[in-house]
Amino acid sequence: MGAPRKLAATLLRWVVHLVPVESQDWALAMLRELDFIEGDWAALFWAMGSTAAILRHAASVGWAWLKNKSNLKNKSSKEAGMNTTGKKALGVGLGMLSALALVGCAFATLRILGTMFPWLEHSHWAYWLAVLAIPEAIFVAATVMLWRKKGPVAAGILATGLVMALHVAVHLTLHW
Amino acid sequence: MLVLDAFLVQAEEWKYGYDLSRITGLKSGTLYPILMRMAKRKLLETQWEAGEPGKPPRHMYRFTPDGLRFARASAAAHTGGGLGQVALGLNAPNSPALDLMGA
Repeated sequence: MGAPRKLAATLLRWVVHLVPVESQDWALAMLRELDFIEGDWAALFWAMGSTAAILRHAASVGWAWLKNKSNLKNKSSKEAGMNTTGKKALGVGLGMLSALALVGCAFATLRILGTMFPWLEHSHWAYWLAVLAIPEAIFVAATVMLWRKKGPVAAGILATGLVMALHVAVHLTLHW
Repeated sequence: MLVLDAFLVQAEEWKYGYDLSRITGLKSGTLYPILMRMAKRKLLETQWEAGEPGKPPRHMYRFTPDGLRFARASAAAHTGGGLGQVALGLNAPNSPALDLMGA
């Protein structure tokens, strides 16, 4: 079994464990199909497409659940202020989750590129660029673009970006 | 239409995800959301294949009677042109066909 196929299987197994029960059957179906795909790279592309599809499905299931819960709360709660706070918190959480997902994707991309070009694994520049510089630039751009229309989401992204930058600053101070 | 056409060929037989992907030329990231929506709308039934012992089961798909009716109507409307689509309500904003396409 080649490295891309191993990576594909690992990715889909991780997805099967991660997604909610409603999406698990589908994720497992995609994982089972891997055994029938000829070619290691084709298997990896299959796994990447499947992961995107299943995460979208899981997100829609989660969103429907949240909406349902929010509707129930709206009916029972008379305090509108509480709902506003809840929505803001949800927005901030969503922003943070998106930012973390982006960093996760950056790590995964670097790993995949590392299997294709082994010299990249040892390149500090590639690491800092992929995991820090590009995501931070995206965070800043997203914050600016979303600030007016989706303030809480922008705040969540900004907070994650700041925590990441702080983490790197502390790391550099301690090790250099 | 690609997916519906693929299911219409020997409609009573169970089909596998990867085979459908090869037949239609759709990537998994496009194909599975369509399958999920079809299953949610009860146009498609799914089942785990009872394979040989020691071999992991495989997920299979085929039309439900409603799905088959819908696919045949869509195919007829598609070959019949726009007038047929209007007559069947496939051009309506809440049409199942539009819904399957994620519109």
